[in-house]
Amino acid sequence: MNGGWRALLRLLAVQGTWNYERMLGVGMGYAAEPLLEDLKTVDPVRHGEAVVRSAEFFNCNPNLAGLALGATARAEYEAVPGPQIARLRTALCSPLGALGDELFWAGLVPALVGLALVAAVLGAGWWAILGLLVVYNLVRLATALWALRTGFDAGMRVGSAIGASWIPRAVERVGPVAGAAVGLALPVLAGWYLRGFGAVGIIGALAVAAVGAAVTRWFGPSLTSVRFALLAMGLLVFFRWMGL
Amino acid sequence: MTALAPEAVLLLLIWGTLVALDLVSVPQAMISRPLVAGTVAGWLAGDTEAGLRVGALLELFALDVLPIGAVRYPDYGPAAVAGAALAAGAPWELGLGLSVGLALVLAVLGGWSLKQVRRWNARAIQRRTAALAAGESGAIRLLQYGGIARDAARGALLTGLGLLAAWAVARGVQLDRQTAVGLTLVAIGTALAAAASGAVRSAGRGARLRWLAAGVAAGTLLAVLR
Repeated sequence: MNGGWRALLRLLAVQGTWNYERMLGVGMGYAAEPLLEDLKTVDPVRHGEAVVRSAEFFNCNPNLAGLALGATARAEYEAVPGPQIARLRTALCSPLGALGDELFWAGLVPALVGLALVAAVLGAGWWAILGLLVVYNLVRLATALWALRTGFDAGMRVGSAIGASWIPRAVERVGPVAGAAVGLALPVLAGWYLRGFGAVGIIGALAVAAVGAAVTRWFGPSLTSVRFALLAMGLLVFFRWMGL
Repeated sequence: MTALAPEAVLLLLIWGTLVALDLVSVPQAMISRPLVAGTVAGWLAGDTEAGLRVGALLELFALDVLPIGAVRYPDYGPAAVAGAALAAGAPWELGLGLSVGLALVLAVLGGWSLKQVRRWNARAIQRRTAALAAGESGAIRLLQYGGIARDAARGALLTGLGLLAAWAVARGVQLDRQTAVGLTLVAIGTALAAAASGAVRSAGRGARLRWLAAGVAAGTLLAVLR
């Protein structure tokens, strides 16, 4: 796989041109360029068509984009008909999005952040921050490398390769870890912030938390947690200004 | 807010730009997490503890967000930088609420600015449709670098605006002790609500919910024993 390392580096910026029309498309085209270089000398016409296809609409979790990138690049070298490659790209959007989002945004990130918050509060300081960054980046870089290689090796059979891989099992396992880590962090942080405020302050803050959790759940997206926080702060300042 | 030397302001501006880029464009290394962005900003502003307090509280808000696809979400990175700069040098019980309030406004503004950058990216692509249809690799590279440059400019502008707002708030807003403490308590309460809502929503009804409950029980025990 010539140009693999350059493609891997470019995948780190796969969302650099994120937009509402092609989403990751142009970023995928940018990452595909080093992989398709050899095709230029072998079949320049095919290379031109491959470049066009590589930058068309695409969307998935950025950490698993390498699977689609590797698979489509391999398919271009194997002279698979263009419409079939386009269908493969489209078919990969949803599963790679769902698996990647579950694995990273809903799993690994909250798990590591929860643990880092607890460690920071318990006095680990910079080590907590460093641990979060090192572990996350090791996992995501290893995943990106695996994804690119697996995609390129599997080509049009990438769907089966994903199904047989470690990804679905990891998704199942990381969710409970994330739940436990965030659950652990919540009371520890509450204790860290509220210690020293006295009973009235603690009850007041916990009451705000209970009301906030209830009303944001009740109103849904129209009253996000940030809107509720700004509203509550605004009301407090208003009431204090009124002399209450 | 402590008086910041020009070098410190410049470093905060650079840091804010980097964390804004990290959120979506490049390299998504998680330096944009408010815990990281805020703590480093606090250190740059001369008060690591204040940065950690602001960053950790904003992190609770950020745990309520899943940055999936086209969803519009707040940009907590530059917001944490400005919040940490405002909180630096003040007793945290008095400064945390106001700093987090400012940071939340900036985070919402950051989310809006991200949407504008995405629209500008789409317009840039429309202008180069012919080159893309012709398979010109140079056009793809230009679009990519342009998109990253737009996001960097967004981050620099947002951080600069945030630091300016922090300076203005520090100079112009004088709160009595009760109001300042009240704001801090409201900030803590709403942050806990955000994280709890996000955790319950993500947990669903399966094993994750049971692990969440077990984590809360262990965390409560740990908090009591400390």
